[in-house]
Amino acid sequence: MPASVLPTAVPTRLDVAAELLALLNDTGTEPRADNQLEALTLAVAADLPVLLWGEPGIGKTAALNQLAESLDLPLTTVIASVHEPTDFSGLPIVGDDPAVQGVPMAPPDWAVRLVRAGRGLLFLDELSTAPPAVQAALLRLVLERRVGALSLPPGVRIVAAANPRSSAADGWELSAPLANRFVHLQWAHDHDVVVRGLGGTWPRASLPRLDPARLPESVAYARRAVCTLLAARPALVHKLPTGESRRGGPWPSPRSWDMALRLIAFGTAAGTGREVLSMLVRGTVGDGPGLELLASLDRLDLPDPETLLADPGSAVLPERGDLRQAVLDGVVEAVRRRPDRSRWDAAWSLLVLALETGAPDLVVVPAATLASLRQDGWEVPTAIERLAGAVALAQRADRAVERVGARR
Amino acid sequence: MDFDKLYAARLYAARVRPYLATALFALHPVESPRVPTMAVDRHWRCYASPAFVAATPLADLAGVWVHEVSHLLRDHHARGDRYAAAHGLTGPAERLRMNIAADCEINDDIYGDGLPWPRDCVQPRHLRLDPGQLMEDYLGQFRLGPYTQGLAWLDCGSGADGRERDWDLGPDGAHGLGDQERDLVRFRVAEGMKGRGAVPAGWQRWADEAFHPPQPWRALLGAAVRAAASSGSGDDYNWGRPSRRGASLPEVVLPGLRRTPPRVCVIVDTSGSVSDAELGSALLEVTAIGRAVGGRRDNVTVMSCDAAARIAHPLCQAEGITLTGGGGTDLRAGFSRAARTSPRPDVVVVLTDGQTPWPSAPPPFRTVVGLFKRTHQHDCDHEGCDSEPPPRWARVVRIG
Repeated sequence: MPASVLPTAVPTRLDVAAELLALLNDTGTEPRADNQLEALTLAVAADLPVLLWGEPGIGKTAALNQLAESLDLPLTTVIASVHEPTDFSGLPIVGDDPAVQGVPMAPPDWAVRLVRAGRGLLFLDELSTAPPAVQAALLRLVLERRVGALSLPPGVRIVAAANPRSSAADGWELSAPLANRFVHLQWAHDHDVVVRGLGGTWPRASLPRLDPARLPESVAYARRAVCTLLAARPALVHKLPTGESRRGGPWPSPRSWDMALRLIAFGTAAGTGREVLSMLVRGTVGDGPGLELLASLDRLDLPDPETLLADPGSAVLPERGDLRQAVLDGVVEAVRRRPDRSRWDAAWSLLVLALETGAPDLVVVPAATLASLRQDGWEVPTAIERLAGAVALAQRADRAVERVGARR
Repeated sequence: MDFDKLYAARLYAARVRPYLATALFALHPVESPRVPTMAVDRHWRCYASPAFVAATPLADLAGVWVHEVSHLLRDHHARGDRYAAAHGLTGPAERLRMNIAADCEINDDIYGDGLPWPRDCVQPRHLRLDPGQLMEDYLGQFRLGPYTQGLAWLDCGSGADGRERDWDLGPDGAHGLGDQERDLVRFRVAEGMKGRGAVPAGWQRWADEAFHPPQPWRALLGAAVRAAASSGSGDDYNWGRPSRRGASLPEVVLPGLRRTPPRVCVIVDTSGSVSDAELGSALLEVTAIGRAVGGRRDNVTVMSCDAAARIAHPLCQAEGITLTGGGGTDLRAGFSRAARTSPRPDVVVVLTDGQTPWPSAPPPFRTVVGLFKRTHQHDCDHEGCDSEPPPRWARVVRIG
C-alpha cells in the first residue's frame, strides 16, 4: 500500500531528525554592547568595504548572517578562492564580429541577482586564499563596484573575510592596492558571547542611530580632525607598507584617509565610543597613523588656550592629569607668543583654578615658566600667593633631587 | 594621607625622568589603607598606603612612582593574562611569579641616575638570571622557592600581574582610563621617547616595539619566500592554455588554471660571524618552503659562497639538498652565477650577515634577503668588507 493514502502517517526517522534540527536552530537574539559588531555595522552603514581578519571557525560567517538578517538585506556569499578571475571581471563572450561589436563581458548570475534586487550584502569569503589573478579582478569589484558590464546599485554593501597569515597555510598575501581599499577589522571571539550564543541567544546587530541634527557638525569635525593632523604631518599622507610584517594590512593613503574621515563623521553623528572609533580608524590607515589621528582628536577636544585666556572665570579644565598638563602648557605657550599684562594675569588665575581643582604637582612647571615671562612694571598678582603650596612642593622635590645629587 | 609628599615625589620623578612625565601625570592617586605599599590597577589608578607614604623618603617614593608607571606602560597585566592563557596557569602563586618577572624586566634600567636603588628590589641576579630580558622570558626560567622567599612582600597590584585585588575600584570606578585612552597615553610616551637622546636602551626598545610588536622571523621569511615564489608563477590563472571548462562553452573565452612550480635558489654567504644553529635553521626553513611551493625536490638548490661552505655542506648532505658550491667569494659572484644557471631560478633567497657588497643592478629574479644579526662586532677595515644596507629591490627579513 502506497504511503500517500495512509490516514496519519507515522513520522519517518528523517522527519524526527528534521524536528530536532528545527529545535536546535531556534535561537533568539538580544541587544548587547559588542565593540567589534558595532564597528562592523558602522562601517557597513558608511558604505565602506570591510575586511574581517580572523581565525577559521570563530564565526565570521555567522556574524555576517546575523548582520544581514537584522539589516534585512539579502546575503550573497561568494567564496573568492574557488572562483576564476572571469567570475568577477566578466566572461568574455565572442560574438559573430568582435571587431565591430566588441567582446561583451557577461556578468555571472549572482551579480545579476544582486542588481535585480537593488540591495543586498555581498560577502566575499576566503579572500586571502584567492590566487593573485582573482584578487586583481576583485579590485575592480571593490573599487568600482562593477562586475563585468554591470554596476552594483548603491544599496549593495561589501564585506570580505580573510584568514590571518599565521593560520592560512597556503594563502597569498593581500596585495597592497587591495588592502588599501578595505577597513580592516580584527575579528576575535568573545568568550561570553560564544557561551551565551551556544545557550541559544546571540547578540543582535543594529544599524547605528545617526542624529539628524548633528550631521553638518559631524562632517565639519571629521574634516577638521583629519586636515589638522595632515597639515602638521605631511609624511603621514601616503606611506606604502615597507616592512615585511605590515604587508597586506591597512596603510595610509589619500584614499584611506578619506575613508577614515567618513568613519569619524559617522561615528560622531552616531555618538559611538572611542573604543569603536579607534578600531575603525586604526583598521583604515594603520596603527601608527591611526593613533596619531586619535591623539589629534583628543587635542581637538581640549579647550582652546585662547578661549580660556579670554574668560578664565568660566573655564573648565579636563579631569585627567596628562590632558590638564597639556592644556596648561598650551596656555603658557599662548602667553609667551603674545605677552601682555591682561593675558598674563588671566593665565595666573587659570593656574590657581587648576590648583584648586586637582593635583598641585602638574601646576609647578607652567607656573615657573609663566613667572619667567614677567616684564618690567608687571605686578605679581595676588593669586600667586595661593600657589605657595605648589611652590613649596617644588622646592621640596628640588631639595630631594639635590640630596640625591642627580644630574638635572 | 600626606598627598603633598606623594605629589612632590611625582614631581621629583617627572624631573629626573622627563620622558615619563605624561604617563606619571595620567595616573590618578587613590588613598587606600588596604594596600601594602603602592599598587596600580589596569585603569591607571595608583593606590597608596598612608603609612607607606609617611615612612618612605621622598626620593624612594619617586622611585616607586616610576616603577609602578613602568608596569602600566609595558602592559604587564595584559601580557600576564596572555601568558596565563597560553600556558594554562591559574592561581595567586602564578600571578606572584608574574609580578616578580615583571619587576625583573623593569628594575634593571629605571634606578640610578637620580633615583636611589631600593634596598630590597627584585633583580634578575637574585634569581641567578641574566638581565635585559622580558617578563615572558623570565617566567620560563624560575620557580617560587628559596631564592624568591624574600620577595613575597611585594605587591604591585592588578596592573602588574592581572589578578584583581580587593582594593581595586574596578572598571566603573572614578577616574579610570579605558582601553583606548591607555593606548593613547602609551603611544604619546613612546613617540616622545623616539629621537630623544637621554633615554635608556631598555626604554628605547620598548618605544620602538610598543605598537609594532616584532613578529617571529620564521613566519616573515616564509611569507616573503612564498610571496616571491607565487607572484608570476605558481598556481595562478592565465590565458596560456584553454580552460578545462572551455569545451562546454564554445562561445566563451575562459582562463585556465596553471601551475608552474617556481625554482628556488638559496645563496648562503656569511663570514663566520653568524651562529651555526641560526644559519642552519634558516636554511632548513627556506628549503622546506621552497619544496612546498615547488612541489619537487630538485626545484631547490643551495649555493654556498666560500666562507659558508663548512656549515652548508654537512647540512645539505644530511637533508639531501642539492648543493652547488663555489658561489664565489662574495654575493655579487653568487648572483651572477645564479643568473647564468639554466634553468634560471624564479626566486633567490640570500642568507647573509650583510657584510658584503651588493650587485648594483636588480637581478633578473625576485630576491629575498635573510639578514642575520652579527654575533660579534669585528672591525671592518680590510678590503671587501663593506656592510652597506641591502638594496631596495630585495625583500628583507631580519633573522634572530
